[in-house]
Amino acid sequence: MAVFRLGQSWDPLRDLEREVDRLLQGVNLTFHGVRTGRQYPAVNLHESANEYILTSELPSTAPEDLDLTIANGVLTMSGHRHDEGEIPEDRFRRQERPRGPWKRSLPLPERIQEDELSADFHNGVLVVRLPKAPQEEPRQIPITSD
Amino acid sequence: MSTDHPIEPSQDLVTANRIEDSTSAASDRFVFTPPIDIFETADGLVLRADLPGVSLESLELQIQDNRLTLFGRVETLLPEDAVAVHREFEVGDFLRSFILSDEVDYDRITARLSHGVLEVELPRAAQAEPRRIQVNAE
Repeated sequence: MAVFRLGQSWDPLRDLEREVDRLLQGVNLTFHGVRTGRQYPAVNLHESANEYILTSELPSTAPEDLDLTIANGVLTMSGHRHDEGEIPEDRFRRQERPRGPWKRSLPLPERIQEDELSADFHNGVLVVRLPKAPQEEPRQIPITSD
Repeated sequence: MSTDHPIEPSQDLVTANRIEDSTSAASDRFVFTPPIDIFETADGLVLRADLPGVSLESLELQIQDNRLTLFGRVETLLPEDAVAVHREFEVGDFLRSFILSDEVDYDRITARLSHGVLEVELPRAAQAEPRRIQVNAE
C-alpha cells in the first residue's frame, strides 16, 4: 500500500516512489502512530479507588538506571538504558530502538500522599503507585469583623 | 535473494491493529511491531527487540523454514477498577518476523529475555568447503 504519491508516475521516478513508500511504511510500523514532539517515555495515568497508578514502558532499564524524585507535586523521572554504548556504532546493521538518556517531569494529581509513593518494574514496565490522601474533615474558617 | 543481509525484517509486517481477540469477547487487542536493533559480533549477529510487558511465559519465538517469528503477549498490570486519566500509549501484543539467510547457523540460535528486552544470538554458520565437481568425458 503506497503512502507517498507523486502526481504522475513517470517511469524514472517509480523506483524512487517505491523506495520512499517502503521507508515510510517502516517508520509507521515501528512507532505507535506519528511521533512528532512526543515526550519519551510515554506515560499513562490511571485512577482506582485508593490510588493513582502511573505506568511507563521502559525496556532495558534496571532500577539503578532510573531516578525518581518528587517535589511540590511534580514527579521527575530520569534515566538511561542499561545497554547503552556497549556496541560500537559501525557494528549496527539496523537501529530502531530509542537510545540516550531521558528526563521527564509530570505534575501529579492533587491529594496524594507524597511519602507513600512506591515504584516497581515488571518486565520492563515501570509502575508507580500514588496512594490518595484520605478525605479531610471540613474545617471551619473563623470570620472576624471590625 | 538477500545474501548480504543475514537477517532481514520481513516485508509483510503487521501494523498497529486492533484485532478481535477470540478468548475475551469484550476487548479488542492492539498488535504492535516492536523496534529492533541488529548488530554484528565476532560470532555472528545479535538481534535485540523492545518487548515491554512480555514475560518468558508469554513470549513465543519460532523458526519456520527460514523465517524467525516473535510474538509476545502482554497482560495489563492494572487492577480491574482502574480508569484512565491520561493516556499516551496503548498496551498491546508484539509481533514481528524476519527472514534469515543461510549464513545463520539455525541450530545454534539462542535467546534470552531480560528487563523487557529480547536478545537473540544468531551465530554465523561455518564456511562450507569448496567442492570439486567431477567432470566426465563423453
